[in-house]
Amino acid sequence: MAHAFEKLHWSRELEFGQYLTPGSLDDALQMLADGKGQARVIAGGTDVIPELRRRHLKASILVDITRLPELRGITQEGEDIVLGGLVTHAQAPASALIRERAGLLAQGCAAVGSPQIRNLGTLAGNLISGQPAADASIPLLALDARVTIASLEGEREVPLKEFFLDVGKTVLDSTREVLTRIRFRALGPDQGGCYLRLSKRKALCLPMLVCAVQVTADPQAKVIKEAAIALGPVAPVPFREVRTEESLRGAAASRQVIAQAAENASAWCSPRDSLLRGSCDYRQEMVKVFVRRGLTKALEQAGCTLD
Amino acid sequence: MHPGLKDGNMSTLKLSFKVNGKLTSLAVAPNALLVDVLREDLGLTGTKAGCREGECGACTVLLDGEPVNSCLLPAMKAAGREVTTIEGLVQEDGTLHALQQSFTDQGASQCGFCTPAMILNAKALLDKAPHPDEGQIRQALSGVLCRCTGYRKIVQAVQNIAQGK
Amino acid sequence: MFDKTDDKKEAKVLTKEKIDLQRLAREGQAALTVAGTSVRRVDDPLKVTGKLKYGADYPAEGFLHGKILRSPHPHARIKSINIKKAQELEGVAAVLLAKDVPGRNGFGAIIPDQPVICGDKVRFVGDGVALVAAESEKIAHQALSLIEVEYEPLPAVFDPREAMAEGAPKIHEKGNLLSYDKLIKGDVAAGFAQAEVIIERTYQVPFLEHAYIEPDMVMAIPQPDGTMLVEGPMQAPFTTRRNVAPVLGLPINKVRCRQIHMGGGFGGKEDSPIDIGCRAAVLAWHTKRPVRLALEREEITLQTAKRHPMIMEVKIGAKKDGTLTAFQGVIYDEQGAYASLGPRIPPAGGSHVHSMVMMAGPYEIPNVKVDAYLAYTNHPYGGAMRGFGAPQVHIAHEQVLDELATELGLSPLEIRRKNAFKLGSTTATGQVLNQSVGLRDTLEACAKAFEWDRRYKQTGYLDAQRSKRRGVGIGMGWYRTSIGTGFDGCGANVYVHEDGSVLLYSGITEMGQGAFTVLPQICAEELGVRLEDVRLVTPDTDLVPESGPTVGSRSTTLMGNAIIMAARQVKESLLETASMMLMVPVERLESKDRKIFDRDHPEKSLAFREAAARCMATGKRLIGQGWWTPPPASLDGHTGQGNPYFVYTYSTHMAQVVVDVETGEVDIEKYVAAFDVGKAINPRALEGQIEGGVGMGLGYALMEEVVITDGLIQNTSLQNYLIPTTLDVPDIQPVILEVKNEFGPYGAKGIGEMPNIPATPAILNAITNACGGRVRSLPADPEAVFWAIREAGGPPKE
Repeated sequence: MAHAFEKLHWSRELEFGQYLTPGSLDDALQMLADGKGQARVIAGGTDVIPELRRRHLKASILVDITRLPELRGITQEGEDIVLGGLVTHAQAPASALIRERAGLLAQGCAAVGSPQIRNLGTLAGNLISGQPAADASIPLLALDARVTIASLEGEREVPLKEFFLDVGKTVLDSTREVLTRIRFRALGPDQGGCYLRLSKRKALCLPMLVCAVQVTADPQAKVIKEAAIALGPVAPVPFREVRTEESLRGAAASRQVIAQAAENASAWCSPRDSLLRGSCDYRQEMVKVFVRRGLTKALEQAGCTLD
Repeated sequence: MHPGLKDGNMSTLKLSFKVNGKLTSLAVAPNALLVDVLREDLGLTGTKAGCREGECGACTVLLDGEPVNSCLLPAMKAAGREVTTIEGLVQEDGTLHALQQSFTDQGASQCGFCTPAMILNAKALLDKAPHPDEGQIRQALSGVLCRCTGYRKIVQAVQNIAQGK
Repeated sequence: MFDKTDDKKEAKVLTKEKIDLQRLAREGQAALTVAGTSVRRVDDPLKVTGKLKYGADYPAEGFLHGKILRSPHPHARIKSINIKKAQELEGVAAVLLAKDVPGRNGFGAIIPDQPVICGDKVRFVGDGVALVAAESEKIAHQALSLIEVEYEPLPAVFDPREAMAEGAPKIHEKGNLLSYDKLIKGDVAAGFAQAEVIIERTYQVPFLEHAYIEPDMVMAIPQPDGTMLVEGPMQAPFTTRRNVAPVLGLPINKVRCRQIHMGGGFGGKEDSPIDIGCRAAVLAWHTKRPVRLALEREEITLQTAKRHPMIMEVKIGAKKDGTLTAFQGVIYDEQGAYASLGPRIPPAGGSHVHSMVMMAGPYEIPNVKVDAYLAYTNHPYGGAMRGFGAPQVHIAHEQVLDELATELGLSPLEIRRKNAFKLGSTTATGQVLNQSVGLRDTLEACAKAFEWDRRYKQTGYLDAQRSKRRGVGIGMGWYRTSIGTGFDGCGANVYVHEDGSVLLYSGITEMGQGAFTVLPQICAEELGVRLEDVRLVTPDTDLVPESGPTVGSRSTTLMGNAIIMAARQVKESLLETASMMLMVPVERLESKDRKIFDRDHPEKSLAFREAAARCMATGKRLIGQGWWTPPPASLDGHTGQGNPYFVYTYSTHMAQVVVDVETGEVDIEKYVAAFDVGKAINPRALEGQIEGGVGMGLGYALMEEVVITDGLIQNTSLQNYLIPTTLDVPDIQPVILEVKNEFGPYGAKGIGEMPNIPATPAILNAITNACGGRVRSLPADPEAVFWAIREAGGPPKE
């Protein structure tokens, strides 16, 4: 029953020896490569710094990518929205494009931490932290976002569905790669989205449950064409409730169908028991409520008001 | 090897930035955080450290006008940028900023430890939206914990300015 | 509806007290100019500009950095410690073990049962087993990691009931039952026999963290003459001194404790400066160098005192009309590893006895029995936290009263109207409340401001989907002024100078509550000068007279009286001198606003400073010393009967909440809190105490809980120990009533702790009213509310 030294003793001093500030992406990638696994990317730092202080993370070199111009900005490319790797949780909801065409993402970002943290923390960082209930990751997952990852070997694009591996672990290697872009399709007029969050207090609080829903509907026929349901933490990674999504494809947009979908989603996912953020039983019950509410609201936004 | 990489132990870096309107240059350790540079190297102890992980918000400063947690900020992130601390709000002749005066008038400060952070967050809000409603004020101050006041007089102090009182 | 005759009876009592209220108000307006007004805080200009220096703001140059090696076991024998590697680390000045403590190896606010450095065994995860001082914080931390300790783990116990059971692992030599106290009034068996309805419930509350935002730190600075100076944020410099001296083996007069302005205390900085003060002093004593010991946030949570957790079993009986006939309570109070402020200081000191005294609530109940057990466990320890044992028992009596009212078909307001204390009531300890009893006034004033009748009728669902339901709740409470010990005295010195300026010496500390403004207000009022004429000498045990600790809502009242006494001694000189200068008899002279004048002919006057200058020139006394002790406390050790505290503050809170009955989330929409404070010396600062106290009580109700597994706290940081944010606390409406306290300065009584106390049950009761479920084990976080609704058979139909 001996508890670890790190859980009982704290130091304010962070254990890294070099801080590098590259001016271009190529420079950054070269610095990482030269670091041979000892260097690590830092952007907003809202995860990296506390993790270094907790000694959960070890790095002797930090490569600060926040001055890379190629990683900035929110743009529209056709029907796609593209976010640079440095877009912060404050910038995303401040963009009219995001609010109007990806409202669920705007809401998710606005729920992260505090105004000060949102001014620093990036959406890319939210993804890379690999936390199963991250507030920006869940809506991005529901939006079928894809990310571009750069390394000295070149660029690759990975759909978010394949991005997360385990708690705190993704396909991206922060000792040699940089997440440069996040891309997803903007919601159209026949689409709707919803973001819901459950927490013990109303700000500065990690969630007990996060749910993001995206639907495509035929309002005339009152039919659900497609539904995407992302949930966290119900698995080690941000989770797409694929079975429920499949059951909704082509289904009638009715309260009964949605209630059934909520029941199914709840039965299929297995959140762990957490002393601080809720029992499995409770969170399963909440999945039921959130999937029902999320689908209902998303359908409303898609022009499909339920009777 | 990239020229930025050096062998051996920590060597200091040169940090040049604007602090409360003044150009400032000093040598800092690579692992220095802005909160410590402000407090220990520059003597600006109005910026407080309460938790060192971005939760209490007492270390808030404005970075190019935006509130950030200086305990989460490697000092070098401030290079070439402008940092405003609570000390920067008082005019040269000693006149208090309207928010500082309002906090005093309203009795919004108890132990005072969160006060600089509250005022800076409020300033960032009012600089963007001069007439926020109560909800916006509470939202803007939601990243600073106060254990003394129940927040009411703090919110009122900001409201009074917002309503031109 | 209401019983007519009862209504009248209430009206009569109210009228009498309302007359008192009015008279006081008139007197106040006519007589007072500085006290009773909402002057700006004296320290505000420094606070809003960031210039006020807290402990951590003093430069660390020249200081060694102290650190504590903590036990990883909740209970273990120390077999061996190897400090060689740590000692050899460059920059390490000292690595100290139990044998290195020069004097008594123990400290504690009441009993010195906590080792400065553990020698033979450890009793909780966080117990200190070695101390290090080094040239930098980093080196000190590294040195800790190099100390090798071999432990023999012992069975640990984490529940007070298990700790009291036979064969439980023995935590201290004298056994695990630290204190058993009982209270017997009347005959509870007979009382329950008279009852027509009896209900029994169990309520449980967890450890709570103070979560003051300023982290603990202390500086121990050896002085050339062998004195040890200990500086830092501290609520009780005299208690700290009383501990540091024997630990160093020094007489009390060779330890000097100086308070640095505190960034919040809430009772926590009564204990923690003793802990780190003793440890830093031992390091400084050995190294003969100044030592700075600062705790990181997580270390504060691990190491320092908390609010006591309790299991409370309650049985209450009443007639069908709601008249209470009997109350029986059992308290299992968990002390944790060390005694801190838990055990009894005769007659009525210590948090445990206080819990017992308060347990039946501010209600007339003829038959009461309380059995209160305080047991050591291998958890962190309970200490003082805003309310000192009272918040816990209020959670029990306020909830059980509501549960009883539901059973009786009475409204929460009716049952309180029927039973609440009034002038002349007898408490559970047999104390007759013969003055300053404004509880019922607070009930009526609160009901009016809150519009209880309207809101009570309008509870119900907000939406067609029936997912959100509104409810209202009441919490009533009382709280002592003073600490119920034999040594509750308070001293003040007042020096007037020849130019009319004044120095006020007080040992009452400032932690945000406003003492440094309110106390000079009282001094200025009594002397007849302006607030800016008085400068307060901040607490320093070398300079100010013993004042006791700044706790127990005692400062304004006890120190206020001491200041008035000190000021009057000087005023006597001033008025006698003025009398000769003006040729007006002393009895006709009044001193106000820097002027001494003839009450009958105000134009006959002279400046305060002229009289002061004349006093100085003629050798008249310009130094006053006041010493005020409250009327003696009493409490029989066998029956719990007596007058434990000389006066009480009273309060009623009303909350309106909306519960999401599908998720258990709670939103507080409206909040009114009414108080009988005796007299508001600074109404705005008083409102601040109310608003902040309610905020803290809200946290207790909805989110706060120290979560411990195998003795280790799981939520040591502010990321997961949650306190309310701006978005959680509603716009609190304070209502201040003044029912004069005959023993208080201008009628004042204590207010620091009271606001925190009824807030928690008011919210819990409102939640039940809204959703039908009742959370009897705190906190009422969404999950707890959700299951409570399930347990109640689902949310209300309408």
